Amino acid sequence: MSSRIKLFIVCLLCSNTGFTLPAPADITWRLSSDTIWRLPPNTGHVSSTPEQALLLLRNTKLPDSSIWWPNVKLSLFIENLKANINFPLKIYQGSNTNFCGYAALSYLPLQDDPLSYTRFMLSLYLDGKATWNNISFETSPAIHQAAGTLHFKGILDIRHADQIWFLILADHFRSYLNFFNRRFHPGSEDTFWAAVNYGKFNRMIRQLLGWQVEARGSDVLRPHIPHLFDYLTNCLTTGTTYLYVNNTYLHKKNHNKFKSRFPTHYIVLEQIHRIPGQEDWVDIVYWDYGGRTLRQMDLHFLKRILFGVSHCTPPTDNK
Amino acid sequence: MTNRSPYYFIIAAMLVLVTSCTRLNITNYYHKHHSALDSIEDTYRRAYRNKPFSIEFTDRPFDRVSLELITDTLTYIYEYRVGEPRLQDTLLKFGYDTVPVNWLINRMRTMECTWIDKLDYYVEDQKHSLIYLSLWPRAFNSPFVNKKYYILTYFQQPQYYDSKGRLFASRRRRHLRKINAEVFFRLNDRVFYTISDRFR
Repeated sequence: MSSRIKLFIVCLLCSNTGFTLPAPADITWRLSSDTIWRLPPNTGHVSSTPEQALLLLRNTKLPDSSIWWPNVKLSLFIENLKANINFPLKIYQGSNTNFCGYAALSYLPLQDDPLSYTRFMLSLYLDGKATWNNISFETSPAIHQAAGTLHFKGILDIRHADQIWFLILADHFRSYLNFFNRRFHPGSEDTFWAAVNYGKFNRMIRQLLGWQVEARGSDVLRPHIPHLFDYLTNCLTTGTTYLYVNNTYLHKKNHNKFKSRFPTHYIVLEQIHRIPGQEDWVDIVYWDYGGRTLRQMDLHFLKRILFGVSHCTPPTDNK
Repeated sequence: MTNRSPYYFIIAAMLVLVTSCTRLNITNYYHKHHSALDSIEDTYRRAYRNKPFSIEFTDRPFDRVSLELITDTLTYIYEYRVGEPRLQDTLLKFGYDTVPVNWLINRMRTMECTWIDKLDYYVEDQKHSLIYLSLWPRAFNSPFVNKKYYILTYFQQPQYYDSKGRLFASRRRRHLRKINAEVFFRLNDRVFYTISDRFR
Protein backbone atom coordinates (compact mmCIF):
# COMPACT_ATOMS: atom_id res chain seq x y z
CA MET A 1 0.00 0.00 0.00
CA SER A 2 1.46 3.33 -0.97
CA SER A 3 2.17 5.95 1.68
CA ARG A 4 -0.35 8.32 0.09
CA ILE A 5 -3.13 5.78 0.45
CA LYS A 6 -2.09 5.05 4.05
CA LEU A 7 -2.17 8.75 4.85
CA PHE A 8 -5.56 9.06 3.21
CA ILE A 9 -6.97 6.20 5.31
CA VAL A 10 -5.51 7.65 8.51
CA CYS A 11 -7.04 11.02 7.72
CA LEU A 12 -10.35 9.38 6.95
CA LEU A 13 -10.44 7.60 10.28
CA CYS A 14 -9.39 10.71 12.17
CA SER A 15 -11.99 12.93 10.61
CA ASN A 16 -14.66 12.45 13.26
CA THR A 17 -15.93 15.66 14.66
CA GLY A 18 -16.42 15.19 18.34
CA PHE A 19 -13.86 17.85 19.29
CA THR A 20 -14.51 21.41 20.27
CA LEU A 21 -12.30 24.31 19.33
CA PRO A 22 -12.29 27.55 21.27
CA ALA A 23 -14.00 30.23 19.27
CA PRO A 24 -11.89 33.31 18.56
CA ALA A 25 -13.61 36.37 19.93
CA ASP A 26 -12.39 39.39 18.03
CA ILE A 27 -13.11 40.40 14.50
CA THR A 28 -10.58 42.71 12.94
CA TRP A 29 -10.87 44.43 9.64
CA ARG A 30 -8.41 45.70 7.13
CA LEU A 31 -9.96 48.70 5.51
CA SER A 32 -8.84 50.86 2.71
CA SER A 33 -8.18 54.51 3.55
CA ASP A 34 -10.21 55.89 0.66
CA THR A 35 -13.36 54.21 1.91
CA ILE A 36 -15.99 56.18 3.76
CA TRP A 37 -17.10 54.30 6.84
CA ARG A 38 -19.99 55.90 8.63
CA LEU A 39 -20.72 53.00 10.87
CA PRO A 40 -19.32 52.45 14.34
CA PRO A 41 -16.22 50.26 14.45
CA ASN A 42 -16.64 46.56 14.91
CA THR A 43 -16.36 45.52 18.53
CA GLY A 44 -16.64 41.77 18.23
CA HIS A 45 -19.28 39.35 17.06
CA VAL A 46 -22.41 41.46 16.90
CA SER A 47 -25.46 40.49 14.92
CA SER A 48 -26.47 43.14 12.46
CA THR A 49 -29.32 44.04 10.18
CA PRO A 50 -29.65 44.11 6.39
CA GLU A 51 -30.25 47.87 6.59
CA GLN A 52 -26.83 48.39 8.18
CA ALA A 53 -25.22 46.27 5.50
CA LEU A 54 -26.98 48.16 2.70
CA LEU A 55 -25.99 51.48 4.25
CA LEU A 56 -22.38 50.38 4.34
CA LEU A 57 -22.55 49.25 0.75
CA ARG A 58 -24.11 52.54 -0.34
CA ASN A 59 -21.52 54.62 1.47
CA THR A 60 -18.48 52.78 0.25
CA LYS A 61 -16.62 54.08 -2.76
CA LEU A 62 -15.39 51.29 -4.94
CA PRO A 63 -13.13 51.61 -7.97
CA ASP A 64 -14.67 50.64 -11.32
CA SER A 65 -12.26 47.75 -11.56
CA SER A 66 -10.10 46.03 -9.00
CA ILE A 67 -6.45 45.28 -9.62
CA TRP A 68 -6.88 42.23 -7.42
CA TRP A 69 -9.86 40.78 -9.22
CA PRO A 70 -9.33 41.57 -12.91
CA ASN A 71 -12.31 39.51 -14.12
CA VAL A 72 -14.84 40.74 -11.57
CA LYS A 73 -17.30 43.33 -12.85
CA LEU A 74 -18.15 45.98 -10.28
CA SER A 75 -21.81 46.22 -11.31
CA LEU A 76 -22.30 42.46 -10.93
CA PHE A 77 -20.36 42.45 -7.66
CA ILE A 78 -22.56 45.16 -6.12
CA GLU A 79 -25.79 43.66 -7.43
CA ASN A 80 -24.75 40.32 -5.98
CA LEU A 81 -24.03 41.80 -2.55
CA LYS A 82 -27.38 43.58 -2.56
CA ALA A 83 -29.15 40.37 -3.53
CA ASN A 84 -27.40 38.42 -0.78
CA ILE A 85 -28.28 41.05 1.82
CA ASN A 86 -31.91 41.38 0.77
CA PHE A 87 -32.55 37.75 -0.09
CA PRO A 88 -30.03 35.69 1.88
CA LEU A 89 -31.76 32.40 1.10
CA LYS A 90 -31.17 32.87 -2.63
CA ILE A 91 -27.43 32.25 -2.46
CA TYR A 92 -26.69 29.49 -4.95
CA GLN A 93 -23.62 27.30 -5.18
CA GLY A 94 -23.77 26.93 -8.97
CA SER A 95 -24.65 23.82 -10.90
CA ASN A 96 -22.20 20.93 -10.76
CA THR A 97 -19.79 22.63 -8.39
CA ASN A 98 -18.61 21.31 -5.04
CA PHE A 99 -19.43 24.59 -3.33
CA CYS A 100 -22.47 23.31 -1.44
CA GLY A 101 -20.66 23.32 1.92
CA TYR A 102 -19.70 26.96 1.52
CA ALA A 103 -23.17 27.93 0.35
CA ALA A 104 -24.68 26.16 3.36
CA LEU A 105 -22.19 27.90 5.64
CA SER A 106 -23.27 31.26 4.16
CA TYR A 107 -26.76 30.71 5.55
CA LEU A 108 -25.51 31.81 8.99
CA PRO A 109 -23.62 35.06 8.31
CA LEU A 110 -26.06 36.28 5.66
CA GLN A 111 -28.96 35.99 8.07
CA ASP A 112 -27.25 36.68 11.35
CA ASP A 113 -24.60 39.23 10.49
CA PRO A 114 -24.90 40.67 6.97
CA LEU A 115 -22.88 43.72 8.01
CA SER A 116 -19.77 41.67 8.82
CA TYR A 117 -20.21 39.74 5.60
CA THR A 118 -20.50 42.95 3.58
CA ARG A 119 -17.43 44.49 5.22
CA PHE A 120 -15.46 41.38 4.54
CA MET A 121 -16.44 41.32 0.87
CA LEU A 122 -15.75 45.03 0.40
CA SER A 123 -12.33 44.65 2.02
CA LEU A 124 -11.60 41.74 -0.27
CA TYR A 125 -12.58 43.75 -3.31
CA LEU A 126 -10.51 46.75 -2.27
CA ASP A 127 -7.41 45.08 -0.86
CA GLY A 128 -7.46 41.63 -2.37
CA LYS A 129 -7.32 40.19 1.14
CA ALA A 130 -9.35 40.49 4.31
CA THR A 131 -9.64 39.21 7.84
CA TRP A 132 -12.63 37.67 9.53
CA ASN A 133 -12.57 36.59 13.15
CA ASN A 134 -8.76 36.79 13.21
CA ILE A 135 -8.53 34.53 10.17
CA SER A 136 -6.57 36.22 7.44
CA PHE A 137 -7.58 35.36 3.89
CA GLU A 138 -4.70 35.95 1.52
CA THR A 139 -5.49 34.10 -1.63
CA SER A 140 -3.27 32.88 -4.41
CA PRO A 141 -3.02 34.68 -7.76
CA ALA A 142 -4.90 31.81 -9.41
CA ILE A 143 -7.94 32.58 -7.27
CA HIS A 144 -7.73 36.29 -8.07
CA GLN A 145 -7.73 35.42 -11.74
CA ALA A 146 -10.49 32.83 -11.50
CA ALA A 147 -13.14 34.93 -9.77
CA GLY A 148 -15.52 36.24 -12.40
CA THR A 149 -14.61 33.56 -14.92
CA LEU A 150 -16.75 30.65 -13.70
CA HIS A 151 -19.24 29.89 -16.45
CA PHE A 152 -22.05 27.44 -17.18
CA LYS A 153 -22.97 27.34 -13.49
CA GLY A 154 -26.44 28.86 -13.75
CA ILE A 155 -26.92 32.14 -11.93
CA LEU A 156 -23.46 31.83 -10.36
CA ASP A 157 -22.19 33.00 -13.78
CA ILE A 158 -23.30 36.54 -12.93
CA ARG A 159 -22.80 36.32 -9.16
CA HIS A 160 -19.27 37.64 -9.02
CA ALA A 161 -19.26 38.28 -5.27
CA ASP A 162 -20.34 34.70 -4.64
CA GLN A 163 -17.58 33.45 -6.91
CA ILE A 164 -15.02 35.35 -4.80
CA TRP A 165 -16.62 34.13 -1.56
CA PHE A 166 -16.73 30.45 -2.50
CA LEU A 167 -13.26 30.48 -4.03
CA ILE A 168 -11.53 32.13 -1.09
CA LEU A 169 -13.24 29.81 1.40
CA ALA A 170 -12.24 26.75 -0.62
CA ASP A 171 -8.72 28.08 -1.03
CA HIS A 172 -8.26 28.81 2.67
CA PHE A 173 -9.92 25.89 4.46
CA ARG A 174 -8.33 22.60 3.50
CA SER A 175 -8.85 19.03 4.66
CA TYR A 176 -7.91 15.49 3.76
CA LEU A 177 -10.43 15.43 0.92
CA ASN A 178 -8.43 18.19 -0.75
CA PHE A 179 -5.12 16.37 -0.32
CA PHE A 180 -4.65 15.39 -3.97
CA ASN A 181 -6.04 18.70 -5.32
CA ARG A 182 -3.98 21.27 -3.53
CA ARG A 183 -3.77 24.02 -6.11
CA PHE A 184 -6.58 25.69 -7.99
CA HIS A 185 -6.73 25.10 -11.71
CA PRO A 186 -9.55 26.14 -14.05
CA GLY A 187 -12.37 23.69 -13.41
CA SER A 188 -11.21 22.86 -9.86
CA GLU A 189 -14.52 24.12 -8.47
CA ASP A 190 -16.07 20.88 -9.75
CA THR A 191 -13.43 18.63 -8.19
CA PHE A 192 -12.19 17.51 -4.79
CA TRP A 193 -10.30 20.81 -4.58
CA ALA A 194 -13.57 22.36 -3.39
CA ALA A 195 -14.91 19.39 -1.41
CA VAL A 196 -15.97 19.90 2.20
CA ASN A 197 -15.85 16.99 4.61
CA TYR A 198 -17.81 17.04 7.84
CA GLY A 199 -14.92 18.00 10.11
CA LYS A 200 -13.95 20.89 7.88
CA PHE A 201 -17.53 22.13 7.70
CA ASN A 202 -17.86 22.29 11.48
CA ARG A 203 -14.40 23.82 11.79
CA MET A 204 -15.34 26.60 9.37
CA ILE A 205 -18.41 27.50 11.41
CA ARG A 206 -16.47 27.50 14.65
CA GLN A 207 -13.44 29.40 13.46
CA LEU A 208 -14.92 31.77 10.92
CA LEU A 209 -18.23 32.63 12.53
CA GLY A 210 -17.43 31.92 16.16
CA TRP A 211 -20.56 29.83 16.59
CA GLN A 212 -20.64 26.85 18.88
CA VAL A 213 -21.21 23.58 17.07
CA GLU A 214 -22.45 20.37 18.61
CA ALA A 215 -21.70 17.81 15.91
CA ARG A 216 -22.83 14.20 15.70
CA GLY A 217 -21.67 12.11 12.79
CA SER A 218 -18.75 11.58 10.46
CA ASP A 219 -17.81 11.19 6.80
CA VAL A 220 -18.11 7.42 6.83
CA LEU A 221 -20.33 6.20 9.64
CA ARG A 222 -23.87 7.28 10.34
CA PRO A 223 -24.54 8.68 13.82
CA HIS A 224 -26.57 6.59 16.22
CA ILE A 225 -29.49 8.79 17.19
CA PRO A 226 -32.24 6.57 18.66
CA HIS A 227 -35.04 9.14 18.71
CA LEU A 228 -34.18 11.09 15.60
CA PHE A 229 -37.41 13.04 15.32
CA ASP A 230 -37.25 14.23 18.94
CA TYR A 231 -33.55 15.02 18.62
CA LEU A 232 -34.01 17.12 15.50
CA THR A 233 -37.07 18.85 16.93
CA ASN A 234 -35.04 19.79 19.98
CA CYS A 235 -32.16 21.05 17.83
CA LEU A 236 -34.52 23.28 15.85
CA THR A 237 -35.81 25.00 18.96
CA THR A 238 -32.37 25.98 20.19
CA GLY A 239 -30.29 26.86 17.14
CA THR A 240 -29.52 26.37 13.47
CA THR A 241 -29.33 22.75 12.36
CA TYR A 242 -27.31 21.46 9.44
CA LEU A 243 -27.75 17.96 8.09
CA TYR A 244 -24.96 16.18 6.25
CA VAL A 245 -26.70 13.83 3.84
CA ASN A 246 -26.18 11.42 1.01
CA ASN A 247 -27.50 13.46 -1.89
CA THR A 248 -27.64 10.58 -4.33
CA TYR A 249 -30.82 9.54 -2.51
CA LEU A 250 -32.20 12.94 -1.52
CA HIS A 251 -31.75 14.63 -4.89
CA LYS A 252 -31.68 11.63 -7.18
CA LYS A 253 -29.91 12.12 -10.47
CA ASN A 254 -30.03 8.61 -11.88
CA HIS A 255 -31.80 5.29 -11.39
CA ASN A 256 -28.73 3.16 -10.81
CA LYS A 257 -29.18 0.23 -8.47
CA PHE A 258 -25.78 0.76 -6.89
CA LYS A 259 -25.33 4.20 -5.42
CA SER A 260 -22.54 5.87 -3.51
CA ARG A 261 -22.79 5.18 0.21
CA PHE A 262 -21.12 8.42 1.27
CA PRO A 263 -22.51 11.80 2.25
CA THR A 264 -22.04 14.58 -0.27
CA HIS A 265 -24.34 17.42 0.59
CA TYR A 266 -25.24 19.90 3.33
CA ILE A 267 -28.74 21.15 3.95
CA VAL A 268 -30.19 23.43 6.61
CA LEU A 269 -33.10 21.84 8.41
CA GLU A 270 -35.76 24.46 9.12
CA GLN A 271 -38.83 22.46 10.16
CA ILE A 272 -39.82 18.88 10.83
CA HIS A 273 -43.36 17.67 11.53
CA ARG A 274 -44.95 14.26 11.80
CA ILE A 275 -47.66 13.63 9.24
CA PRO A 276 -50.93 12.95 11.10
CA GLY A 277 -51.97 9.33 10.86
CA GLN A 278 -48.57 8.20 9.58
CA GLU A 279 -46.31 7.80 12.58
CA ASP A 280 -43.09 7.18 10.67
CA TRP A 281 -43.58 9.84 8.02
CA VAL A 282 -42.50 13.44 8.37
CA ASP A 283 -42.72 16.69 6.46
CA ILE A 284 -39.34 18.37 6.45
CA VAL A 285 -38.54 21.87 5.26
CA TYR A 286 -34.92 22.41 4.38
CA TRP A 287 -32.77 24.95 2.62
CA ASP A 288 -30.35 24.13 -0.18
CA TYR A 289 -29.67 25.17 -3.80
CA GLY A 290 -30.82 28.72 -3.17
CA GLY A 291 -34.27 27.98 -1.80
CA ARG A 292 -36.49 26.16 0.65
CA THR A 293 -37.98 22.78 -0.11
CA LEU A 294 -40.73 20.85 1.61
CA ARG A 295 -40.87 17.13 1.12
CA GLN A 296 -42.36 14.13 2.79
CA MET A 297 -40.16 11.25 3.80
CA ASP A 298 -40.02 8.16 5.89
CA LEU A 299 -37.97 8.57 9.07
CA HIS A 300 -36.11 5.37 8.17
CA PHE A 301 -35.15 6.94 4.86
CA LEU A 302 -33.95 10.06 6.67
CA LYS A 303 -31.86 7.92 8.99
CA ARG A 304 -30.37 6.08 6.05
CA ILE A 305 -29.21 9.20 4.25
CA LEU A 306 -28.14 11.11 7.37
CA PHE A 307 -24.42 11.14 8.22
CA GLY A 308 -24.19 14.21 10.39
CA VAL A 309 -26.22 16.64 12.46
CA SER A 310 -24.56 19.93 13.35
CA HIS A 311 -26.41 21.95 15.90
CA CYS A 312 -25.10 25.52 15.82
CA THR A 313 -25.70 28.14 18.48
CA PRO A 314 -24.49 31.74 18.46
CA PRO A 315 -21.57 32.69 20.69
CA THR A 316 -22.53 33.68 24.21
CA ASP A 317 -19.69 36.16 24.64
CA ASN A 318 -21.26 39.02 22.70
CA LYS A 319 -19.68 42.30 23.48
CA MET B 1 -4.24 -18.94 -26.38
CA THR B 2 -4.21 -18.63 -30.13
CA ASN B 3 -7.51 -20.54 -30.27
CA ARG B 4 -9.17 -17.91 -28.18
CA SER B 5 -8.14 -14.94 -30.27
CA PRO B 6 -11.16 -15.15 -32.64
CA TYR B 7 -13.49 -14.86 -29.63
CA TYR B 8 -11.69 -11.78 -28.39
CA PHE B 9 -12.00 -10.31 -31.84
CA ILE B 10 -15.74 -11.06 -32.00
CA ILE B 11 -16.37 -9.58 -28.54
CA ALA B 12 -14.37 -6.49 -29.39
CA ALA B 13 -16.22 -6.13 -32.68
CA MET B 14 -19.58 -6.42 -30.89
CA LEU B 15 -18.56 -3.76 -28.37
CA VAL B 16 -17.52 -1.42 -31.15
CA LEU B 17 -20.77 -2.10 -32.96
CA VAL B 18 -22.88 -1.42 -29.87
CA THR B 19 -21.10 1.82 -29.01
CA SER B 20 -21.04 3.05 -32.57
CA CYS B 21 -24.79 2.66 -32.85
CA THR B 22 -25.40 5.04 -29.95
CA ARG B 23 -25.23 8.34 -31.77
CA LEU B 24 -27.19 7.12 -34.73
CA ASN B 25 -29.96 5.91 -32.45
CA ILE B 26 -30.35 9.21 -30.67
CA THR B 27 -30.64 11.16 -33.86
CA ASN B 28 -33.05 8.64 -35.30
CA TYR B 29 -35.07 8.56 -32.11
CA TYR B 30 -35.58 12.32 -32.17
CA HIS B 31 -36.46 12.48 -35.84
CA LYS B 32 -38.89 9.60 -35.46
CA HIS B 33 -40.63 11.08 -32.42
CA HIS B 34 -39.99 14.78 -32.81
CA SER B 35 -43.63 15.83 -33.05
CA ALA B 36 -44.48 14.08 -29.78
CA LEU B 37 -41.36 15.37 -28.04
CA ASP B 38 -41.82 18.90 -29.33
CA SER B 39 -45.43 18.92 -28.15
CA ILE B 40 -44.26 17.94 -24.65
CA GLU B 41 -41.82 20.83 -24.68
CA ASP B 42 -44.40 23.29 -25.96
CA THR B 43 -47.07 22.26 -23.47
CA TYR B 44 -44.61 22.34 -20.60
CA ARG B 45 -43.31 25.79 -21.54
CA ARG B 46 -46.86 27.19 -21.63
CA ALA B 47 -47.90 25.49 -18.38
CA TYR B 48 -44.69 26.55 -16.63
CA ARG B 49 -45.38 30.18 -17.59
CA ASN B 50 -48.65 30.03 -15.64
CA LYS B 51 -47.22 28.27 -12.60
CA PRO B 52 -43.75 26.74 -12.39
CA PHE B 53 -43.27 23.04 -11.75
CA SER B 54 -41.22 20.06 -12.85
CA ILE B 55 -42.08 16.40 -13.32
CA GLU B 56 -39.98 13.32 -12.56
CA PHE B 57 -40.73 9.65 -13.00
CA THR B 58 -38.92 7.84 -10.25
CA ASP B 59 -39.12 4.20 -11.38
CA ARG B 60 -38.52 2.09 -14.47
CA PRO B 61 -42.18 1.11 -15.16
CA PHE B 62 -43.06 4.82 -15.07
CA ASP B 63 -45.67 4.16 -12.40
CA ARG B 64 -44.48 6.66 -9.80
CA VAL B 65 -44.38 10.35 -10.52
CA SER B 66 -42.81 13.07 -8.43
CA LEU B 67 -43.97 16.67 -8.80
CA GLU B 68 -41.94 19.68 -7.80
CA LEU B 69 -44.38 22.52 -7.29
CA ILE B 70 -42.51 25.80 -7.15
CA THR B 71 -43.93 28.73 -5.22
CA ASP B 72 -42.34 32.03 -4.18
CA THR B 73 -41.37 30.72 -0.77
CA LEU B 74 -41.13 26.95 -1.04
CA THR B 75 -40.65 24.12 -3.49
CA TYR B 76 -43.01 21.28 -2.60
CA ILE B 77 -41.93 17.79 -3.63
CA TYR B 78 -44.62 15.11 -3.60
CA GLU B 79 -44.57 11.61 -5.03
CA TYR B 80 -47.62 9.69 -6.26
CA ARG B 81 -48.66 6.62 -8.16
CA VAL B 82 -49.88 7.62 -11.60
CA GLY B 83 -53.64 8.03 -11.50
CA GLU B 84 -53.81 8.48 -7.74
CA PRO B 85 -56.64 10.92 -6.79
CA ARG B 86 -54.33 12.68 -4.30
CA LEU B 87 -52.36 14.02 -7.24
CA GLN B 88 -55.37 15.89 -8.60
CA ASP B 89 -56.22 17.23 -5.14
CA THR B 90 -52.71 18.59 -4.76
CA LEU B 91 -52.73 20.28 -8.15
CA LEU B 92 -56.05 21.94 -7.41
CA LYS B 93 -54.96 22.97 -3.94
CA PHE B 94 -51.89 24.72 -5.33
CA GLY B 95 -53.86 26.35 -8.13
CA TYR B 96 -52.43 24.43 -11.09
CA ASP B 97 -54.36 23.83 -14.27
CA THR B 98 -54.77 20.07 -14.09
CA VAL B 99 -55.33 19.57 -17.84
CA PRO B 100 -51.80 20.30 -19.14
CA VAL B 101 -50.12 18.67 -16.13
CA ASN B 102 -52.10 15.45 -16.56
CA TRP B 103 -51.51 15.54 -20.31
CA LEU B 104 -47.77 15.92 -19.70
CA ILE B 105 -47.68 13.06 -17.19
CA ASN B 106 -49.42 10.72 -19.62
CA ARG B 107 -47.41 11.79 -22.63
CA MET B 108 -44.11 11.64 -20.75
CA ARG B 109 -44.98 8.15 -19.61
CA THR B 110 -45.73 7.10 -23.18
CA MET B 111 -42.49 8.59 -24.47
CA GLU B 112 -40.42 7.23 -21.54
CA CYS B 113 -39.45 10.72 -20.52
CA THR B 114 -38.16 10.67 -16.96
CA TRP B 115 -37.65 14.37 -16.18
CA ILE B 116 -38.68 17.77 -17.48
CA ASP B 117 -37.57 21.09 -16.10
CA LYS B 118 -36.74 24.64 -17.10
CA LEU B 119 -33.13 25.78 -16.68
CA ASP B 120 -31.69 29.26 -16.73
CA TYR B 121 -28.44 29.98 -18.50
CA TYR B 122 -26.52 33.17 -19.13
CA VAL B 123 -25.08 34.64 -22.30
CA GLU B 124 -23.13 37.91 -22.00
CA ASP B 125 -24.62 38.36 -18.51
CA GLN B 126 -28.16 38.08 -19.89
CA LYS B 127 -30.55 35.46 -18.59
CA HIS B 128 -32.06 32.94 -21.00
CA SER B 129 -33.96 29.75 -20.40
CA LEU B 130 -34.20 26.33 -21.93
CA ILE B 131 -36.37 23.29 -21.45
CA TYR B 132 -34.46 20.24 -20.26
CA LEU B 133 -36.01 16.91 -21.20
CA SER B 134 -34.54 13.55 -20.14
CA LEU B 135 -35.51 10.35 -21.90
CA TRP B 136 -34.89 6.88 -20.55
CA PRO B 137 -35.67 4.52 -23.44
CA ARG B 138 -35.71 0.81 -22.78
CA ALA B 139 -32.82 0.34 -25.21
CA PHE B 140 -30.58 1.88 -22.55
CA ASN B 141 -31.82 -0.27 -19.71
CA SER B 142 -29.15 -2.91 -19.44
CA PRO B 143 -29.13 -4.28 -15.87
CA PHE B 144 -25.36 -4.59 -15.76
CA VAL B 145 -24.37 -1.09 -16.72
CA ASN B 146 -25.13 2.32 -15.32
CA LYS B 147 -28.22 3.94 -16.72
CA LYS B 148 -27.91 6.30 -19.66
CA TYR B 149 -30.31 9.04 -20.57
CA TYR B 150 -30.97 10.96 -23.74
CA ILE B 151 -31.01 14.61 -22.80
CA LEU B 152 -32.76 17.05 -25.12
CA THR B 153 -32.46 20.79 -24.62
CA TYR B 154 -34.92 23.13 -26.27
CA PHE B 155 -33.65 26.67 -26.67
CA GLN B 156 -35.85 29.65 -27.43
CA GLN B 157 -33.48 31.03 -30.07
CA PRO B 158 -31.34 29.32 -32.72
CA GLN B 159 -27.93 28.46 -31.27
CA TYR B 160 -24.40 28.62 -32.59
CA TYR B 161 -22.48 25.41 -33.13
CA ASP B 162 -19.22 24.24 -34.67
CA SER B 163 -18.57 22.03 -37.70
CA LYS B 164 -19.10 18.94 -35.54
CA GLY B 165 -22.48 20.23 -34.42
CA ARG B 166 -21.29 20.98 -30.88
CA LEU B 167 -23.12 23.74 -29.02
CA PHE B 168 -21.22 27.01 -28.71
CA ALA B 169 -21.40 29.38 -25.76
CA SER B 170 -22.36 32.37 -27.92
CA ARG B 171 -21.51 34.06 -31.18
CA ARG B 172 -18.70 36.07 -29.56
CA ARG B 173 -17.37 33.39 -27.20
CA ARG B 174 -16.69 30.64 -29.65
CA HIS B 175 -16.03 27.83 -27.28
CA LEU B 176 -18.21 24.99 -26.16
CA ARG B 177 -21.15 25.59 -23.85
CA LYS B 178 -21.64 22.94 -21.22
CA ILE B 179 -24.98 22.27 -19.60
CA ASN B 180 -24.83 20.18 -16.45
CA ALA B 181 -21.17 19.57 -17.33
CA GLU B 182 -22.07 17.95 -20.64
CA VAL B 183 -21.28 18.97 -24.22
CA PHE B 184 -24.37 19.06 -26.43
CA PHE B 185 -24.80 18.23 -30.11
CA ARG B 186 -27.12 19.70 -32.69
CA LEU B 187 -30.37 18.08 -33.78
CA ASN B 188 -31.73 21.28 -35.27
CA ASP B 189 -31.08 24.98 -34.66
CA ARG B 190 -33.07 25.04 -31.41
CA VAL B 191 -32.76 21.46 -30.18
CA PHE B 192 -29.54 19.85 -28.95
CA TYR B 193 -28.87 16.51 -27.33
CA THR B 194 -26.38 14.60 -25.29
CA ILE B 195 -26.12 11.21 -23.60
CA SER B 196 -25.61 11.42 -19.88
CA ASP B 197 -25.31 9.26 -16.78
CA ARG B 198 -27.66 11.67 -15.02
CA PHE B 199 -31.15 12.65 -15.97
CA ARG B 200 -30.78 16.11 -14.34
